[in-house]
Amino acid sequence: MPFHTFARRTVLGLICAVAAMPAAAQDRPVVAVANYPLAYFAERLGNGAVDVFFAVPADVDPSFWRPGISDIAAIQAADVIALNGAGFATWPTKASLPRSRTVDTSAGFADRLIKTETVTHSHGEGGEHSHTATASYTWLDFGLAMAQAQVLADAMTRQMPAQADEIAAQAEALLSDLAALDARAAVIGGAAAGKAVIAAHPRYQYFGAAYDLAISAVEWDAQAGPDEAQWAALEAMIADTGAGLFIWEAEPSAASRDRMARLGMIDVVFPPLANSPADGDFLGQMTASLDQLEAALQQLP
Amino acid sequence: MRRLLAILAVVAFASAAQAHQLNVFAFVEDGTVIVETKFSTGKIPVSGEVQVLNASSEVILTLPLAADGTVRFPLDVEAATGGMMIEVTTGEGHSDYWILTPEDIANGSGS
Repeated sequence: MPFHTFARRTVLGLICAVAAMPAAAQDRPVVAVANYPLAYFAERLGNGAVDVFFAVPADVDPSFWRPGISDIAAIQAADVIALNGAGFATWPTKASLPRSRTVDTSAGFADRLIKTETVTHSHGEGGEHSHTATASYTWLDFGLAMAQAQVLADAMTRQMPAQADEIAAQAEALLSDLAALDARAAVIGGAAAGKAVIAAHPRYQYFGAAYDLAISAVEWDAQAGPDEAQWAALEAMIADTGAGLFIWEAEPSAASRDRMARLGMIDVVFPPLANSPADGDFLGQMTASLDQLEAALQQLP
Repeated sequence: MRRLLAILAVVAFASAAQAHQLNVFAFVEDGTVIVETKFSTGKIPVSGEVQVLNASSEVILTLPLAADGTVRFPLDVEAATGGMMIEVTTGEGHSDYWILTPEDIANGSGS
């Protein structure tokens, strides 16, 4: 074949392939999700045949994400809209979402949701008043994560019947992986025998409740190092709880880790993964966090 | 359609978890944009300001809240082509928003 004929056919083929891409993309079912764990579950369940729409930028806490108009338009058009529920995010109450395609993945275990401490504050003319809230990082109880994954699988099966067999097969594998995490965490928690732990932020309520760890929390900004008042408050909490282990939700500065060591604390980084990790995936990151936690708890007296 | 919008309003107001959060709901009916506000306690804001932003986040309209916690204004189809973000700030210092997508607007305006 002459080179120019080969080149012409190659270019023509590329044009046809590129022209076919949007049509193919439009034909793929879309699952819009509210956080990274649901994105991971949807990716696993879809196994490459589903587009997962998770619009929250990597540097934004999905609980506080404010979508743009185009984000909501894309979410409204999705085949399945998977919400975490448990008060995880407020944006689903700020737009009309199609009820038949929207699923609250924690609604089935509403009786197991954990109420958080009341926050009292004041603004405007209304004087001091209180908010009660619900702990929302449900997936850190891997048993609840399994329930959420199953609800998502059921919703995807309803909306994408052509993929039902594949979703069922993938669900079995995903649930098996989550069950393994659940079993491992239970062993780690059981061996720790109720040892006190302090976390940098109140994210781990479901983890502590599921795996019998007494996890208290300070409220440190993940982006900024703690100030002197916050260190002092931590020292008081250590004295009060007898905790010997501290959980960071993101990698702290070397100076913060040094200071934590000087307080006699063993510390670990355990990202709760509300947003996408920079490296790896949900399963790999959670496994790594459990590895760290197990090693740290074994060092405690 | 009116019944559907009423149901959506109830759902929107009922969804708020916090004790006294401001809730905003907006919809288009017969060429008019209707904004309704209410605290989750059931109280109506006594004062406030409504800003309407276009898809480029430009403020295209600023209006005071009426005494009944609502605002109505005629739909500017051209300005609303890419949808509208309705932001409400009350005199008590609470704020909230509602997003109207182009599809929401088309459904409500009968286009």
